[in-house]
Amino acid sequence: MKPPPAHAHINRLIALTLLLLVFSGSLGLGAVWVRQKISQTANHSRALVAKITEVERRLDEVSAEVATAVNPDALLKQNQAMRLALSTPREVQVVRIMESPELRLAAKRNREIFNLASSQSGDSAPTFRVVTASLR
Amino acid sequence: MSKGFANQRLTLLSLGVVACFMAVGVRLVYLHVIDRDELLRFVDKARRQIVIEHARRGTILDARGNLLATSRSEMTVAVDAWALDEYLQTDKNPAKRARRSAEEQAKRAQLAAQLGLPLAEVEKAFVPARRRIKPEADKHDGQVDGLTKDRWVKLCEGVDEPTYDRIEALNIRGLTAERVYRRVYPGNGLAAHLIGYLNKEGTPVTGAESHFDLYLKGSDGWIESEKDGTRREMAQFRSREIPVQDGNDVVLTIDSVVQHIIEDELKDLAAKYSPNFATVIVSDPQTGAILGLANYPSFDLNNYSKAPLGADKNRAVTDRVEPGSTFKIVAVGAALNEGLVTPRSTYDCGNATIDYKGRTIKLPKEDEPFGILSVADIVAHSSNRGAAQLAMGLGEQRFYEYARKFGFGQSTAFPLGGEVRGTLAPPSQWDGLTISRMPMGHSVDATPLQIHMAMSAVANGGALLRPQIIKEIRDARGPVIRTFAPEKREQVIGRATAATLAQLLTGVVRVGTAKGFDIEGFEVAGKTGTTQKIIDGKYSTTHHVASFVGFFPASRPQVVLSVIVDDAKVSGGTAYGRVVAAPAFHHIAEQLIQYLDIKPVQPAARNFLALTGGVP
Repeated sequence: MKPPPAHAHINRLIALTLLLLVFSGSLGLGAVWVRQKISQTANHSRALVAKITEVERRLDEVSAEVATAVNPDALLKQNQAMRLALSTPREVQVVRIMESPELRLAAKRNREIFNLASSQSGDSAPTFRVVTASLR
Repeated sequence: MSKGFANQRLTLLSLGVVACFMAVGVRLVYLHVIDRDELLRFVDKARRQIVIEHARRGTILDARGNLLATSRSEMTVAVDAWALDEYLQTDKNPAKRARRSAEEQAKRAQLAAQLGLPLAEVEKAFVPARRRIKPEADKHDGQVDGLTKDRWVKLCEGVDEPTYDRIEALNIRGLTAERVYRRVYPGNGLAAHLIGYLNKEGTPVTGAESHFDLYLKGSDGWIESEKDGTRREMAQFRSREIPVQDGNDVVLTIDSVVQHIIEDELKDLAAKYSPNFATVIVSDPQTGAILGLANYPSFDLNNYSKAPLGADKNRAVTDRVEPGSTFKIVAVGAALNEGLVTPRSTYDCGNATIDYKGRTIKLPKEDEPFGILSVADIVAHSSNRGAAQLAMGLGEQRFYEYARKFGFGQSTAFPLGGEVRGTLAPPSQWDGLTISRMPMGHSVDATPLQIHMAMSAVANGGALLRPQIIKEIRDARGPVIRTFAPEKREQVIGRATAATLAQLLTGVVRVGTAKGFDIEGFEVAGKTGTTQKIIDGKYSTTHHVASFVGFFPASRPQVVLSVIVDDAKVSGGTAYGRVVAAPAFHHIAEQLIQYLDIKPVQPAARNFLALTGGVP
């Protein structure tokens, strides 16, 4: 059997070397790409955290301003400045309702029907009941 | 060319290459071995950085979630005039440089307007200057002359974020800023003595800020990473990261509106009577939760440095007064609880002396002459002699023990501290008259809060509670991490006795010393107190402590309210409790009824006494 010619070995060696170079180059480029992505993701994440912090800071700022605007003293000043004349109710101005307010409102709402029904029948008792279950 | 010459050249070239490699090798050894430490230090300094993230201090809220204290970011605006100078120097074209300079000057005019500063002051800050430093520290600008470029000239402090946004949009060269967090109190002086404040250094000084600092402060975090040439962090090189933990929010039991109501009343009291000090306390008898506590004089938390001397004292716990007639609840409560008397039992309050343990004791004076009085009348009309006889019936030791049980002479365990105990001497230290004087509130002193809590025990079925000021602790993200339940300290008197005493106390406003200060349908129960102050070791006839301590509705107490005014100036009269404190109590009570939606007592509940055998 004849041995393969010397240049065939060299060609194979060159091909293998080229393959190795391509492979290691790909690995290198891959590593660079991965590092780049890591860097991008890390910086993006940092930017997001900074943004969240910024938003939280703004929220605190707004909360503080709202709290300042709605503190009782500030509201009283607004009341005076806007001439609203709002004041705390006094006990004499308050009418206490002991029964259910829903039933009371329903009765008030249906008073006309009650009156109509009693005048038609000539009797004091109403001819039908007002259903207020949905209100309870 | 001969073969020998060619070989020589090859040898020379090889030697040259080897020498180059050797030089590189030597340099590498030098860099990596000999200079290693110094270079590493340099790299560390140049690239590595530790960024500290400051924790945000928690907020303080009232029971309804209103902000009482919060941290607000503010900017400190400064100027690096040298940066502007360097920027202008980069352009070699004089015309362009002049145009740039004019543009920057126009921006500075806008900056002055935004900051509300005179333009001259802003322009002065933008003039490059040097400042003096120690020569040994002078290594920055190449000259060791003890001067360095001043790259931080403070222009304005406390610039709010929206204003800074507008300034930033101007893009002014050489303008720098630092973000700082400042504690702000949206209510200004509201509940100043309870909230407390942080000083300029950020150290909590008093109140909740100081006592709940552990919850509020949080813990700083830090990140170890590297920075690039523009000093920006390269987040991919973070090697260690300790996350920041923001402070927890502290929720107090106080209600901003209740607090405002009592502070408003205090202002009126102060304007009318110019007292030495005054205190108003409102609490929930069932839990001991303080709904409002205010003192006069007070101060603005946002301007604490301008507060007058002593204005930051929480007088409700730091100052002691003789409780006066409000202390009569001890003698009456104890005698009822021991079954020695009923509300109908009678005493002769007309006699000026009484025989006690084989001695004749002089009884204290009365404000008006009395004859035979029932226990109910003794309470309603605040008879000093009646109270003395009740205490004598109990004996020194038992009376003393009840006074202790009501919380006198001992700390109330007020959560914000700074409290004094008051004085209640044991019977071994009493003189012969003490048993007749102490029941009317002399020979004993207490803080306004102690007096308030003693009355609160009557309103709470005889149970003495610890005053509660903190409701809960919330995580910075919202969830509650700790709640604080009511703490019972002592069962002072029985539930039935407390209910009877409560009804007796309604007589004070119906027919007694504070007649006319009742609120129809709300069963106001209370006790007036007028104490002569001790001036130069003697009881003064012109200086008094006026008080009204009570609760309502008597049959189902919802609010305990105390008004204590020290040394009120009443023109042409004595600062009686009914003159000074009772009207304030009445006015506050009317507002609290509306705000807290306290319902009037039904007729059935009003017949309570008839059911329990009390006075009608």
